[in-house]
Amino acid sequence: APALAQGMPEVRWRCASSFPKSLDTIYGAGDHVAKRVAALTEGRFQIRMFAAGELVPGLAVADAVQAGTVECAHTASYYFVGKDPTFAFDGAMPFGFNMRQMNAWLQAGGGRDLLRDFFAGYNLVSLPAGNTGAQMGGWFRKEVRTPDDLKGLKFRIGGFAGNVLQKLGVVPQQIAGGDIYPSLEKGTIDAAEWVGPYDDEKLGLNRVAPFYYYPGWWEGSLNLSFYVSKPQWDALPPLYKEVLESACRDSTVETMAKYDVQNPQALRRMVAAGSQLRAFPREVLQACYRAAFELYDETAARNPNFKRVYEPWKAFRETQYQWFRVAENTFDNFSYFMHAQEQQQRR
Amino acid sequence: MDVMAPLMFGGLIVFLILGFPVAFSLSAVGLFFGFLSIELGFFGPQYLGNLPLRVFGILANDLLLAIPFFTLMGAILERCGLAEDLLEGTGQLFGKVPGGLAYAVILVGAVLGAITGTVAASVIAMGMISLPIMMRYGYDMRIATGVIAASGTITQVIPPSLVLIVLGDQLGKSVGDMYAGAIGPSILQVLLFIAFIAAVSIFAPHKVPPLPDEALTMRGWPLIWRVMKGMVPSVVLIFLVLGTIFLGLATPTEAGAMGAVGAGVLAWMNGRFTWDLIWQATQNTARITAMVIFILIGATVFSLVFQGVDGAIWIEHLLAKLPGGQVGFLIFSQVFIFFLAFFLDFFEIAFIIIPLLAPVAAKLGIDLVWFGVLVCVNMQTSFMHPPFGFALFYLRGIAPPTVKSSDIYWGAVPWVGLQLILVAIVIFWPESVTYWIDKGTGVDPSTVKIEVPLPDLPEDDAPPVFR
Amino acid sequence: MGPLLAFSRGVDKLNAAVGYLANWAVFLSCAISAGNAFIRYGLSYSSNAWLEVQWYLFGATVMLGASYTLFKNEHVRVDILYASVSVRTRLWIDVLGFIFFLLPATILLAWMTWPFFLDSFIRNEGSPNAGGLLRWPVKILMPIGFFLLTLQGLSELIKRVALLRGLQPDAEVVVEYHRPEQ
Ligand code: NA
Ligand code: NA
Repeated sequence: APALAQGMPEVRWRCASSFPKSLDTIYGAGDHVAKRVAALTEGRFQIRMFAAGELVPGLAVADAVQAGTVECAHTASYYFVGKDPTFAFDGAMPFGFNMRQMNAWLQAGGGRDLLRDFFAGYNLVSLPAGNTGAQMGGWFRKEVRTPDDLKGLKFRIGGFAGNVLQKLGVVPQQIAGGDIYPSLEKGTIDAAEWVGPYDDEKLGLNRVAPFYYYPGWWEGSLNLSFYVSKPQWDALPPLYKEVLESACRDSTVETMAKYDVQNPQALRRMVAAGSQLRAFPREVLQACYRAAFELYDETAARNPNFKRVYEPWKAFRETQYQWFRVAENTFDNFSYFMHAQEQQQRR
Repeated sequence: MDVMAPLMFGGLIVFLILGFPVAFSLSAVGLFFGFLSIELGFFGPQYLGNLPLRVFGILANDLLLAIPFFTLMGAILERCGLAEDLLEGTGQLFGKVPGGLAYAVILVGAVLGAITGTVAASVIAMGMISLPIMMRYGYDMRIATGVIAASGTITQVIPPSLVLIVLGDQLGKSVGDMYAGAIGPSILQVLLFIAFIAAVSIFAPHKVPPLPDEALTMRGWPLIWRVMKGMVPSVVLIFLVLGTIFLGLATPTEAGAMGAVGAGVLAWMNGRFTWDLIWQATQNTARITAMVIFILIGATVFSLVFQGVDGAIWIEHLLAKLPGGQVGFLIFSQVFIFFLAFFLDFFEIAFIIIPLLAPVAAKLGIDLVWFGVLVCVNMQTSFMHPPFGFALFYLRGIAPPTVKSSDIYWGAVPWVGLQLILVAIVIFWPESVTYWIDKGTGVDPSTVKIEVPLPDLPEDDAPPVFR
Repeated sequence: MGPLLAFSRGVDKLNAAVGYLANWAVFLSCAISAGNAFIRYGLSYSSNAWLEVQWYLFGATVMLGASYTLFKNEHVRVDILYASVSVRTRLWIDVLGFIFFLLPATILLAWMTWPFFLDSFIRNEGSPNAGGLLRWPVKILMPIGFFLLTLQGLSELIKRVALLRGLQPDAEVVVEYHRPEQ
């Protein structure tokens, strides 16, 4: 049979995922890449997936790719903000982009070019591969009505968002993973956040904390990343590079679609089981918004890597926000408004 | 090429049996097969470079903090004699009942199991507290070590439990459901253990002797006073540990630290506190912690190489040969896990085997919480299998030299049997698990209307502004 | 054998001192954990730094305590066979074990964990959690710990070889398989 990959070399990689297999959408985003790559090269380019902990711990995958001990990894870049906060741009920035804008920035808006040198400093190439869309704000034992309610709130929240909230008096407590459930149940912590309804439901936090807040403003969308060790990437035949790029882009569409189908169903199930939805009050969001940009300015002032990406990122964001307010948001808002009104009248 | 994984299992047995420390024997098997695999082209030398990341992952696993915390609690309790008072008091109370001390150990084990989530912590604390007393009162050594190791491993079925957390994670089920599902089997397990001791006290009473008459020194009020004095501090401590979790003061891990501090305070209240005592307990704890965690470090070397030689695929092929049908699948998968548990510890089973079994189970319509709890009960045996069960290693580590290893190994056998009986009960009586799971509010999700505030619409159709 | 035994004595002293640090680490870890819970509950104040320092100290307990534990011969063994053979055979098992089991692993791990620490140190890597700690102080524990363990392995090897050659080393050597005292 005339095959695309005929005469092409056999390539076998190991991919360390940051996620457990049980999170089928988010782990599945990496798995999808592996399957597409194998299918498109008729099995000549094979990537074997390993769930978090099988090869290396989930939060160590960047180190593994950097050291070349695995060829590639699937992860969320903001896990590595401890190394450098600049990683956050590749994953999610509080009050940053929604999924469409993130894709625009990374795929066509110069985002990847901006980040390329930064990632090269870690000996890796980052390809966007999957997105969760806008996330939820997490599970709270008590209501948050004013910014004052954030003071002393013990919240299990990682990364940059923890830094933002800390400015407003929140006590970020990154307690052990297995302790989250009992601690939230008994009130040792007041709140914990994870992803969105479909993944949160599996954690079962809805059983122990009644209020389900939205939006997770720290993750207007979370871009997942497929890291490739740079020497491996450079040695890849051009066709395989194309294949891998396509598979990753494909995975972004696929993952978002799965989440958009699963999330509303999971949310319904949890509301049926007694969860109470709460929106973060505008005043709270405003305080968080201001704190976030304060933090960005402070970070940019002392971190040149961050500053180099932040300024063009911010400019791109402005253009995007302007445009989305014109057609997209007007369409969304009006349609949702009318639909909601119809539903109310029908009752 | 498919022979590497089984060869690794074989090598493990050979290396361990030589008697060099377990931690370094495990890593040696791993490295031996690692270098062999590099020669055979399974992976390049850089693959072993994942080891630093894995070792760091163990040090950074804050759930493991429970091990030093509960060990320290046990060491302080043991050294200041409070634990002895507790068991001695209980012993005096049950004095005339054969097996009285063993019942006390099972119950204390269950209570400790409700406090701690790791077998290492529980077995070590239990062993330190109760082994010397059982020896003094002439218990059969095999019964004594068996009941301690088994009562220590119950902690993984009784919530909170590291095993249930990991399994829930792997099965995509909530920890809450896993905990709820485990309640029934935990109760059954305690009852089975008690029944076994009762049987021993009937058929072989000399193995679980009642306290000798001269040990029953007190009667009436002095006895009650003595019992109270012995029991109250430990009961206070248990409530302190559990209470701090229930009050929302401490996470389950921190509750271990609370227990250690509480043990110190109790020693002080009893007038037995000295800094020397605390320091000795601390030294002991540091060495036990290093010893236990180095076993995990050795095991991580082994399992990295096992992954590298496609051990997971080998296991997958084995599983493909399982017969169909719900009960057939359950029985064979549990037998399979039982045998694997001779060689692998629960982390490996949870990470390698469960993801392979879960989809099959789901396809057969098996409730995954039920399945997970079943696996958890079964994997208790992985800690108890002689000669490689980690609980036996831990017990060996703290037992005085007069206790023979063969006693520890033979002592474990009947309890492994009891654990398997529970596996069978759970297979044929799924309600023992599912009865406790939260059935929800009964509201049909498809009828749920989600009401959130309407989006903001501009007041009027203000014309756009261009600047 | 003289200089070797002197080296062995020196290593034993060094690791006894390091083991002392490990004891303090476990004590502090426990005290901080309980203290953090109390303060968080009572004053709603805490920080990820207080959570992270707990496992940093746990890491110190493990990595700094392992070599002294080896000195005390308290790393647990499967002693079905070991318990039933003569002291001389045990010494041989240990000699071969140190050479072929322990030393290759500890040398390899010391060598491999060093660059892992170095990268973190050069980049001044911090915690991904708000208010967390710098990472290199805990990462350096690994090369140090495996290096100390290598030294202790050599020391134990030397002492056992001396015993096999009929010498009575003046360095303390624990040949009896002792469990941690109770
Ligand atoms: Na999130
Ligand atoms: Na437990």
